[in-house]
Amino acid sequence: MTTTVAGEGWPRGRAIAIAKHVNAAMVVFVVLYAVVGILQPSYLEPAGLMNFLRRSAPLAILASGQLFVLAAGGFDLSMSALVTLTVIGGSMLADNNPDNTWWTIGALYGIGLAVGALNGLIVSFLKVPSIIATLGTLLCVDGAAMMWSGGSPRGYLPDNFRAFGRLVLHDVPVIGTFPIAVGVLIVFTLLAWWGLHVTVFGQRVFAVGDNPRAAELAGVRVSATRVAAFVISALSAVTGGIMLGGFGGVSVGVGSGLALQAIAACVIGGVQLMGGRGSVVGAVAGAFSLFALFTLLNLVGLPQSLRDTAQGLILISAVASGAWRLRHAG
Amino acid sequence: MTAIVSGAPRPRRAPPAPLFLFVGSLFLYVGVAIWTGQTSQLHTEGWVGLLQRMVALGIVGVGQTFVILCGSIDLSVANLISVGAVAASFIMQGREAMMLPAVAVVLAISVVVGAINGAIIAGLRVNPLIATLGVGLVLQGLLSASFTDFAGSVPQAFQAFAYGAVGPVPYSVLGLFALALAAWWTLGATRFGAHLYAVGGNAEGARLAGVRTHLVMVGAHVICSVLAGVTGLYLASRLRSGAPWVGRDGVYDLESIAVVVIGGTLLAGGRGGVWGTLAGVLLFATLDAALNMLGVPAYPKLILRGAIVILAVAAYAARTREHVA
Amino acid sequence: MTTGALALEMRDISKSFPGVRALEGVSFDCAAGEVHAICGENGAGKSTLIKVLGGVYRPDAGAILIGGTERSFARPADARAAGVSIIHQELSLLAYRTVAENVFLGLEPTRFGRLDRGAMRLGTARLMQRLSSTIDPDTRAGDLSVAEQQIVEIAKALAFDARILVMDEPTAALDEVDAKRLLALVGKLRQQGVAIVYISHRMSELAAVADRISVMKDGRKAITAPASDLPTDRIVRLMVGRDLAEFYPPRSQAPPGPPLLEIASGGNGVLADIDLTVRAGEIVGVAGLEGSGKTALARAIFGDRPFERGTVSVAGAARQIRSPRAAIADGVGFLPNDRKRDGLALQRSPRDNVLLTLRAFAPALARAAGGAMTDSIADSLLRRVDVRAARLDGEIRLLSGGNQQKVILGRWLARDPKILIFCEPTRGIDIAAKAAIYHIMRDLASRGRAILLVSSDLPEIIGLSDRIVVMRGGRIVGACEGGASEEAVMALAVGHVGEAVIDPVKVGAAV
Repeated sequence: MTTTVAGEGWPRGRAIAIAKHVNAAMVVFVVLYAVVGILQPSYLEPAGLMNFLRRSAPLAILASGQLFVLAAGGFDLSMSALVTLTVIGGSMLADNNPDNTWWTIGALYGIGLAVGALNGLIVSFLKVPSIIATLGTLLCVDGAAMMWSGGSPRGYLPDNFRAFGRLVLHDVPVIGTFPIAVGVLIVFTLLAWWGLHVTVFGQRVFAVGDNPRAAELAGVRVSATRVAAFVISALSAVTGGIMLGGFGGVSVGVGSGLALQAIAACVIGGVQLMGGRGSVVGAVAGAFSLFALFTLLNLVGLPQSLRDTAQGLILISAVASGAWRLRHAG
Repeated sequence: MTAIVSGAPRPRRAPPAPLFLFVGSLFLYVGVAIWTGQTSQLHTEGWVGLLQRMVALGIVGVGQTFVILCGSIDLSVANLISVGAVAASFIMQGREAMMLPAVAVVLAISVVVGAINGAIIAGLRVNPLIATLGVGLVLQGLLSASFTDFAGSVPQAFQAFAYGAVGPVPYSVLGLFALALAAWWTLGATRFGAHLYAVGGNAEGARLAGVRTHLVMVGAHVICSVLAGVTGLYLASRLRSGAPWVGRDGVYDLESIAVVVIGGTLLAGGRGGVWGTLAGVLLFATLDAALNMLGVPAYPKLILRGAIVILAVAAYAARTREHVA
Repeated sequence: MTTGALALEMRDISKSFPGVRALEGVSFDCAAGEVHAICGENGAGKSTLIKVLGGVYRPDAGAILIGGTERSFARPADARAAGVSIIHQELSLLAYRTVAENVFLGLEPTRFGRLDRGAMRLGTARLMQRLSSTIDPDTRAGDLSVAEQQIVEIAKALAFDARILVMDEPTAALDEVDAKRLLALVGKLRQQGVAIVYISHRMSELAAVADRISVMKDGRKAITAPASDLPTDRIVRLMVGRDLAEFYPPRSQAPPGPPLLEIASGGNGVLADIDLTVRAGEIVGVAGLEGSGKTALARAIFGDRPFERGTVSVAGAARQIRSPRAAIADGVGFLPNDRKRDGLALQRSPRDNVLLTLRAFAPALARAAGGAMTDSIADSLLRRVDVRAARLDGEIRLLSGGNQQKVILGRWLARDPKILIFCEPTRGIDIAAKAAIYHIMRDLASRGRAILLVSSDLPEIIGLSDRIVVMRGGRIVGACEGGASEEAVMALAVGHVGEAVIDPVKVGAAV
């Protein structure tokens, strides 16, 4: 199950057989990161690598959450707004008081749960296609975040809140430094991997994404599975938001574009849009690749907004090659 | 070899959506105006203002009707509108002499974008939601990389597009209705229109009947993109300049889809028409006007906008027994 | 038999797909005013052959001659322009458009760029007259019956001057009465000098309508001979390559056990007054025409479109079955009539598909490959139903229809339900797989399960069932013993015995 489309269609051989178990996105990542390292050697030092992982951790977490919705055949575009709401809501609730941090985080996960469930219910019971439904909830959540903050959020979150994104442990054996964010990343992706590839639930997600009608007639609770996928995606957005809140100040633009970045990351990792195929390893490797690509664009001095363009091209080419695969393999 | 189970699905009788929406919108508008005591909104200027609210969404909506009827969808319209608005005002730089070249460039860009959308969908068989989302991202990225604020300006003469009028009726409103008439004629009385419905209703059947389905798909997308470009020109004229966020801020992608669906056009294609879309646009304009009269502030309005789009699509989609992802 | 000049000649056509040689050196011809039938197993190459003729596929080798001149078709439109018209199995009408718009799709007459709707209406009315039909050109196609839609398809094919008409199982979705009308129409078109290529699975039709018959097997042509020289049993032997002894397993001699499924005055939007009992050890066949409610009955029992009235008991206990999940929990299983649409997660493996129902009912966070859901358990289930696949962890969409159907059957064996509903279990699968599925069904019955067989295939219902109930208009209108004659079942299904058998064409004996 953890093998992905990587390497499919390559000529067969023993080395290739091994390569088939390696996600193509990992190779892409290694190549891109090597180029980054050549341009800026500090990235090749352990601290540089850890810093890269720390900064790409939110995207990797978002991608592994988005993956559940994609594997179930949908899209979650509301992630971006939920990240923004998490950061703004976090600053409103915590109110610069470190004592408020823990229950604030709890409340934020509660909000995430509600938004995810709402997405899932709209798609499952109102039958609104998820691209449209989650674009709609994106507007709603964005509006709610702006309303809550009175339109001009500013300032910073309490320090213990920001630790999830910012704190770096020093003097760690072997690797030297260890950001808390990387720890969060490891825990979250292990949970996602377990949920999608080990449990019965994960198999149901894939079956629902592949053919919801067949899954229903085989006894699968299709709506419940779909709602759960949207909830997981929303919880990943809250997790990512908590980390991003540690990176910088509170602003309205924190989350913008992240949902599409997460989808693009999954696509790079071999996840098939419209459901049925994908892996957490691929999603995370895809997120690292995309972030390495962004770093590269920065290093060569291209404007940030070309990221969007790159993502657009990635989306189209990935789906086109997926369509080609389905037509030509058998 | 699988034999067929049943032939073409039996259609539901379509509710007379356009008429119902039209009357409902009028009642809503009048009702809110009276309830809030803003009876001045019921004078000519109020009605003209209401019609003027329809123009931008109406032009994109008519374009979106074409692509949805042939079983596709276009999420790149909002970004293309921004591109059109910025390109127009950047090329004009306030000079009247550059009006024609600017319009020509915007229309040419739109034709190319539409052809690319259509080619990716028909030729590479990419799901239209993703294809147009991707093209929209590419456009937005290129645009935002080149412009970060209002770029250039449009000359006084060009502002006539948005502000000129024949008596009390603005050119733009007349233009919208002329456009709707032309679209109605194209859909109902030409071979292209017939083939558009055929591709949306049963693409494989149409292909086997000798219809050049790829060309029809590309044609529909070119029409949609050109109308998005025209919307961009209109917004540049109304705002007197173009900025890279005008399309996104207007939520034209989502709302154009919503008005088409509200108007009774099947999201899957094959049935519907342009008058329903216009009625849907009237409803949205009325809601917008009503929220203004009620004094709802900007952010709650954003929330309502999102909710209205979802509920509008749900009103048609919720009845289906099929699974939706 | 009136045979004119050769209207169509296909010479040494070959066509390969990745991994499959679909056609190997097939030659075929058809004269004006002749009906040339093609028969063969699924996968024998019939469909590929007509798709080559219709310009859907380009042949790798070989030539197509129309009226003596060689042609090559790059797309369907080219074939139409050459006078070849194909009525495909899947009806391709536009439900929301009028009959006239459908008939003239792709050929719309225009005046100054404007559609000439008057001419379309008139042309359609003329074609309907030629087909002795009274269908109104302004009706929406979706409002017509399946039989009427089939006539519109024929009109569509004749709208441009088709000299060669290919009909791919045109009667598959029709009841006997409508099928006979259609055969009469084929006879009429033959008299008008059209060359007709006719593909069908119904042997009785071939004897009635064909002048010559070609049998295909494994991508090659086995024989072409005048219909009078090919009796049905010889055709079947050529198609299958062996005799069909023991095709249907023998019925059980033991008396049936206690009732496992009892429905009393069940009804919903499309069903009324359903009283039905199925006992342990029984196979009960449900026969009926298209739209008689037999599929609706299966779906109602399985909770997919549940009963709204009446009572249902499973193994003696009253049950409210409101969803497929509830039905499965109560011990009911269901094989849907459309495997690909309703049965399979096509990109998942045979293993995942066979375990799907077990996983649907396991705790959500249990290990997917643990407990009763290991690979070896999956493999033993697949072995029990004799699935033949190169890889059990590849994608199931690459398997043949018969093997796919067996995987779905295996999914239910894993749950071992008390009642198993089979909807068109052998539609579109090869004869060997059919026989295997029949034997598994009988085996399940003999081990005390109750089997409900819903099928449009009369020989299958008659050969397999212990008891047959016949439906019409959403009600059960009668019952027969297993082994009853096709005429007896059909008389019940049609409703009025004498009238129904107006027989314009001589129909040969049933298989």
